[in-house]
Amino acid sequence: MIPLPLQIILTAITASILAGITCSLIGVFVVHMKLSSIGFCMSHAAFAGAALGLLLAVDPLLSALLFSTLVAFILGPISEKARLSPGVIIGIMFSLTIGLGFIFLNFAPGVAATQQALSILWGSIFSVTFDDLILLGLLTFFIVFLLTLFFKEFQALMFSRKLAEASGINTSVFYFLILFLAGVTVAFSLKLVGGLLVFALIVNPASSALQFIYDLKKVLVASPIIGAITCLLGFLLSLLLDFPVGSSIIIVSSFIFGLSVVLSPKRRRG
Amino acid sequence: MATSAFLRGGIENMGEVIVKLSEVDTIYEGEHLPAIKGINLEIRQGEMVSIVGPNGSGKTTLLETVNGLLKVSRGEVRVFNVDMSRDPMRARKNIGYVPQDFISDHSVPFLAQDVVLMGRYGKLGLLQNPRKVDFEIAKEAMRLVGVEEFAHRPIGKLSGGEQQKVMIARTIAQEPKLLLLDEPFSNLDIDSRKEISEKICRLHEENNWTTIVVTHDLFSIPKRCNRVLVMDRGKIVAEEDPESVMCSVKSLTGFYRGLRQ
Repeated sequence: MIPLPLQIILTAITASILAGITCSLIGVFVVHMKLSSIGFCMSHAAFAGAALGLLLAVDPLLSALLFSTLVAFILGPISEKARLSPGVIIGIMFSLTIGLGFIFLNFAPGVAATQQALSILWGSIFSVTFDDLILLGLLTFFIVFLLTLFFKEFQALMFSRKLAEASGINTSVFYFLILFLAGVTVAFSLKLVGGLLVFALIVNPASSALQFIYDLKKVLVASPIIGAITCLLGFLLSLLLDFPVGSSIIIVSSFIFGLSVVLSPKRRRG
Repeated sequence: MATSAFLRGGIENMGEVIVKLSEVDTIYEGEHLPAIKGINLEIRQGEMVSIVGPNGSGKTTLLETVNGLLKVSRGEVRVFNVDMSRDPMRARKNIGYVPQDFISDHSVPFLAQDVVLMGRYGKLGLLQNPRKVDFEIAKEAMRLVGVEEFAHRPIGKLSGGEQQKVMIARTIAQEPKLLLLDEPFSNLDIDSRKEISEKICRLHEENNWTTIVVTHDLFSIPKRCNRVLVMDRGKIVAEEDPESVMCSVKSLTGFYRGLRQ
């Protein structure tokens, strides 16, 4: 293993912890509302955006971010307009963005372009810059701020959209907001941790927290803590055993989830 | 429609019109035939109206049309003089709704007290968190319905009847002016049914609520009820006073079979 400068390691650890907090916070909604395929969808939207960027000779990272944010923005309204579950729309968008991505690549110059666009799907935690950290920190703050500000609306929506609507809450706005935040979280975290890890960070910590807790407020505190601890342990495991960082974090988060299922009081009898 | 002179007199003496449906049709998406058709209905403040009818007669559709959860295909629904196709949110803050057979999954992260407190959310502003008074109202609603002992238990871990009581407490906590109850006693045992029905009647009178109770079980019609609307095939086919309904019914099947004939 080639020794890395301390600053790069610290930046990478901070980035993964921030991504862990953000993804697992939004993951509580994604898991409860059965939207986990949003991880795949947004990863591939970013891939299509990167390919479009290469085709138009624009910074592929910027175009990936813009394209996936756009997809995140339209998911909710399309699902509402078409009166289909967001899961269906996410599935359609997933396949559409793959298709678009390869069409864009087909016209983009050179094999290197393909490599560059596909690299969006894998991410690179060690290439994270200080600016990326600031951006991710702002996103984390923004999500925590919104969840605190509109907690009662999100809580009512999660319990039952129909009942929330019947009691006078405009649920569409908050429903779209959850889909948008989930999409943007994936898009922002992709460069840092890659599509696969984002998926694991969204689903695993939230699912683990939900094995133990029945109070939504406590789930929203526990899930990001589990996410952060998972990332830290995964990172240490990767440094110790010279495993890829993303894979190590996935293994740790899956292990924690497995342990949660075994120890879950929700499954105990008597 | 048969309405006794006594009943008409009683209704006319009541308050302003709270619910008004004019020539209302509601068609579900993808359907050709309306689930309810040509409904004309006025319900005044302080009235308690029961809607009965066999399965599929349009009772729930009518209730969800009243609170605007279902859009009308024809006609107009006004609640508190608000056109429900234009500004339903304004009216809904004052409409309490207990849906039919609402059962939560066993693992959902909500305690019974959270669910009851949610009844207050519509009345609070966008950026307003529940205050001490809201928690107290929610607690009182739980006490009234007899679910305070379940306050800290997960909603999904409660039995169907207990969950139904929590949903009723949630609606009471909302302090509505119009109460829409869709088969509110369906999961309750006979004693609980009687007890909750009496409590709702008492609250209805004390608070001058307007209440609509949908039920397919004629024996669940609250005694305090002013009118019974009988629905069949999407239409209101009769309007009776509760006593005559109960007297004329020898058996449920007989009554509904009579309708279909």
